[in-house]
Amino acid sequence: MNYFNFKFLAGCALFLMMFSCTPSKKQLVEIQTRLIPVTDTYQTDSLIENYILPYRNSVHKEMSTVLSYTPIDLNSFDGKLESTLGNLLADLCYEQANPVFNKRTQKNIDFVLFNHGGIRAPIGKGGITKRHAFQLMPFENTLVVVELTGDKVLEMVTYLNKSNRAHPISKHVKLHFKKDVMTTFTINKQNFDPSKNYYVLTSDYLQKGGDKMNFFANPVSLHELDYKFRAAILDYFAKTDTIKTQLDQRFKRLN
Amino acid sequence: MNRRNFIQNTGLVTAGLTLGGLSLQSFSTDSRTKITILHTNDTHSHIDPFAANHPKYPNQGGVSRRATLINAIRKENPNTLLLDAGDIFQGTPYFNFYGGELEFKLMSMLKYDCATLGNHDFDNGVAGFYKQLPHAKFDFVSANYDFKNTLLDTLVKPYKTFVKNGIKIGVFGLGVELDGLVLKQLYKETKYNDPIAITQQITNTLKKEEHCDLIICLSHLGYQYKGDPTKISDLKLAAATNNIDLIIGGHTHTFLDKPTSVTNTDGKQVLVNQVGKYGINVGRVDFYFDDLKNITSNGGSIPV
Repeated sequence: MNYFNFKFLAGCALFLMMFSCTPSKKQLVEIQTRLIPVTDTYQTDSLIENYILPYRNSVHKEMSTVLSYTPIDLNSFDGKLESTLGNLLADLCYEQANPVFNKRTQKNIDFVLFNHGGIRAPIGKGGITKRHAFQLMPFENTLVVVELTGDKVLEMVTYLNKSNRAHPISKHVKLHFKKDVMTTFTINKQNFDPSKNYYVLTSDYLQKGGDKMNFFANPVSLHELDYKFRAAILDYFAKTDTIKTQLDQRFKRLN
Repeated sequence: MNRRNFIQNTGLVTAGLTLGGLSLQSFSTDSRTKITILHTNDTHSHIDPFAANHPKYPNQGGVSRRATLINAIRKENPNTLLLDAGDIFQGTPYFNFYGGELEFKLMSMLKYDCATLGNHDFDNGVAGFYKQLPHAKFDFVSANYDFKNTLLDTLVKPYKTFVKNGIKIGVFGLGVELDGLVLKQLYKETKYNDPIAITQQITNTLKKEEHCDLIICLSHLGYQYKGDPTKISDLKLAAATNNIDLIIGGHTHTFLDKPTSVTNTDGKQVLVNQVGKYGINVGRVDFYFDDLKNITSNGGSIPV
C-alpha cells in the first residue's frame, strides 16, 4: 500500500505563535496520503450487496434477452478496408434512420459513415442479446444527417485514403483505390458528382470532430434525428430474425 | 494584513532556517486532530466489481467492497469526509436502465458527504439529473456552473462547509467546459464560468468569511492537458490560485500513485490528487491539526 507524508511549511508558524499569546487555534501540521486499491481483500458489505441484488438480477435478465441471430462471427477486423460488423452497422443505421429523415425532409440519406474505433466489441456466432448491443455501442451517441458539399465529400475521401482503416461505410458507396489513386467512387451506382451536395448519416460525436473527421464540421445543413445510435441497433436486432451481412468490397485498395 | 497572517508569513521564513530537518514524529499524537478525506472520481456506474478474467482490472472495484473499506476507516476515525469528483453516471447498463437512481442510492448508503458534477452527469440532460436528485442524500457543489436558468437552480450550491471535531472544512466544486463535450440540448442553459476567477472569489469567502481551516476543491476539470497547455486543468488551477489545500480531481481518469504537490501563488503547497476511474481505488488524505500549547509542551520540533 502506498503511503506518503507531505511535510510543509505551514506548521512553522506555530513556533513563533507560541511566543505571541495568540488564542489557541489548531493549525495544519502534517498530511499523510494513501492510495487504497479496492480488491477482494475487502469483504462485500452484505447490506449493500443485498440492496444491489434485485437491480443486478433485473439488469442481467434484461440484458440476456435474445433479439436476433447471426450464423457467422461478426467483428471489425475480418476485412482490410471493410468488416462484417462495420458493414452491418452502417447498413442497419441507414435502414433505421432513413425513414425518420425522409419523413421530416422528404429527402433520402445518400450514405453512412462511422469510425472504425466506434465499434467497441465483436458479436460471436449465435444468439444476439441486448448485452451485445450495449457492448457494441456503450455511449449515448445520437444519429445525425450532415449535408456535405462535393468538396467536403472529397475531403472525406482524402481522409479515408490517408487513415487506411476499415471505417464503416454503407452499401451505397463503392470506393476503390489503386495504391493511392482513386479508381472508383460511386454513390448509389451513380458516379460521384463534385457539384452535388450529399446527405451523410453519422454520429453526433463524429460530426463534432471526433476522430478528426473535420470534413463534417460546418456543414451546409445539419439534421439531428433524436435517435440514439444504440437505439437504432436495438430496434434493428429486435425486428431481424437472422442477420445477413458480408464483405462486398465496397471500400478496397488494390496494390 | 491581520496579526495572525503576519506571524504566519514571518514564520514561514524564519522557522525554515532555524528548525530545518526536525520531524514531528517525536510528538505524542494524542493532542492532534486528524481529519480524514476519502475520495473517488469517475466511478461511471461501476457498481459491480470487474470480472476475475477482466483483461485490465480483474476482480477490482465494486461498491459493496468500497462500503466495507469506508466503514472500517470511519470506525477508525469518525472525523471523515467522503467526497466524489464527478462522472458518477454512465458506463454500465445500471445507468442505461435506471438513469442513475442506484448510483445515488448507494452513494447515500455509503454516506457520501459531497460531490460535484462531471460532464457525463448531464448524459440524460439537466432534467435527468434533476429527476435522480431526490435519491441523493448528499449535496452537490459547483461554483463555476451557473444553473440559474435551469431546473437545478438553488439545488446545486457553490460550496458547502463541514465542522469535524472543531475543524471547519470548506468544499467547493468546479466543472469542465460543457460546450463540445455535452450536447447543448442536454446541458440547456447551464452557464460555464472561468474556474480561476471563481476559485479566487469562493476561496476568499471560505477563508475570510467562513473561516475554514481546510479548503478542498472537487474538480472535474481534468488533471493536465499536455497537448493543449492553455486549457485549464487541476495543475494549472493549483498554481494560479491560493487558499486551496487539496484538489480532488477527475475527468481525465488519471491514476496517480500519490498526489502531486504544486506551489500556489502564495508559495504554499497544494495537493492535487486523482484515483483513476470505475471505483478501482479510493484516495485517502489525512490532515493533522495541532494547537499551540501542545507544540510548546512537546518541546517544539516542527516539520519543515
